[in-house]
Amino acid sequence: MPEVILKNLPFLLMGLRLTAEIAFVSIIGGTVLGVLVGVVRYFRVPVLAQVADIYIIFVRGTPLLVVLFICYFGFPTLLGYQARAYYAAVLGFILFIAAYLAEDIRAGLRTVRPGLVQAALATGLARAQVIRLVVLPIALRNVIPTFFNQYVRLFKFTSVASVIGVNELTGSAMLVNGREFAPIPIIGFIALTYLVCCFVISMVGRLLYSRLAVRA
Amino acid sequence: MSYKLDWAPIWNNRDLIIEGFVTTVELSALGLVLALAIGVIVGTAGSTNSRILRSGSAAYVELMRNTPLLVHMYIWYVALAFLQLPPFMCAVFGLALYSGAYVAEIVRSGIGAVPQGQRLVALATGLTSAQALLLVVYPQALRMVTPSLASICSQLIKDSSLASVITVAELTYQATAIEGQTFRTFEVYITISLLYLLLVTIVTYGLLLVPGARDDLEQRVSDA
Repeated sequence: MPEVILKNLPFLLMGLRLTAEIAFVSIIGGTVLGVLVGVVRYFRVPVLAQVADIYIIFVRGTPLLVVLFICYFGFPTLLGYQARAYYAAVLGFILFIAAYLAEDIRAGLRTVRPGLVQAALATGLARAQVIRLVVLPIALRNVIPTFFNQYVRLFKFTSVASVIGVNELTGSAMLVNGREFAPIPIIGFIALTYLVCCFVISMVGRLLYSRLAVRA
Repeated sequence: MSYKLDWAPIWNNRDLIIEGFVTTVELSALGLVLALAIGVIVGTAGSTNSRILRSGSAAYVELMRNTPLLVHMYIWYVALAFLQLPPFMCAVFGLALYSGAYVAEIVRSGIGAVPQGQRLVALATGLTSAQALLLVVYPQALRMVTPSLASICSQLIKDSSLASVITVAELTYQATAIEGQTFRTFEVYITISLLYLLLVTIVTYGLLLVPGARDDLEQRVSDA
């Protein structure tokens, strides 16, 4: 490893930790929001479903960077609060990825046969119970591959947080580069780091899917 | 809420927005053409019988796809600064190499979905293998993957906003500039996100019209 990397490794690893933290929180938050939005749309809950449709169209048509700008500059000026870059970034990532996950879970919900839902309702379960105990467990297992694709995408996209001043991996690498001016090893190092992390996320997804997939 | 929405400054700066929009279109178009070229070459390599070509293709895809686009842009703009490429070209290369990997995977799956027999029959009729690929396999494969290509295309357009980070004066960059002058933060970002939405919608639907045109072609071929 080049000396410039070794010397700055602790700082870069701090950046990596922040990247991992942002990605983790956004993945959890995004999945919860995405599934909620997906379920609302699936059951065509009045009003909420229309709001969800507009939200999805809007976010899916907007670049992530613009979503982050809206969360960091737009909402705070509109609503009059002070935003911290870290929270704005996490909010942006959650809103962004949830729109994609909500669309992806539709495919999963379609794998649940209507007969199963009717049977569950006939046994006397309430609608909320049917969703929680029957529909979601099947749907979620079947969308593991697409969800993990989105997680990998999100992990890469966390680099964009550096643009609004969050010193995650890319941000700290650019800081280090500003001091050391050795762009090739530094950028090469973070590229490899992202590569390895994305690989690990994909592997986890594949492993989970091979264990949990529901075979019809 | 003390903040009052005021859209007038956005309208007054429409020249900048239009300029940025045009640059975004140029950037995306150039990036897309290169990405398609890369994707078709790498994807075809990935579906051959040669093990070397296949692993080369897989290596390219994994390497490019698992690195953030922003890092791609920094590679061209910062790490390879000695090449002295204009920022616009850095952004084009970054976008093309990154999206090319996604296109390659789609092309590969499309070729895989064309039955082997099609190629064999084409070869048996006396076409060369290049002709079989160009005239028989690609037309069928590309038609099957048009929806996926449309979604890659819309992603590429949105991803092009990252070019603003390396000082390309496209839509997002101009929005930041307008925001800096007028402080109409919310309005300006909503405006450009609607413009992105418009562009993405037009391009996606435009691409989805393509298969219809091809069906017509197929009809004419079978009539002949």
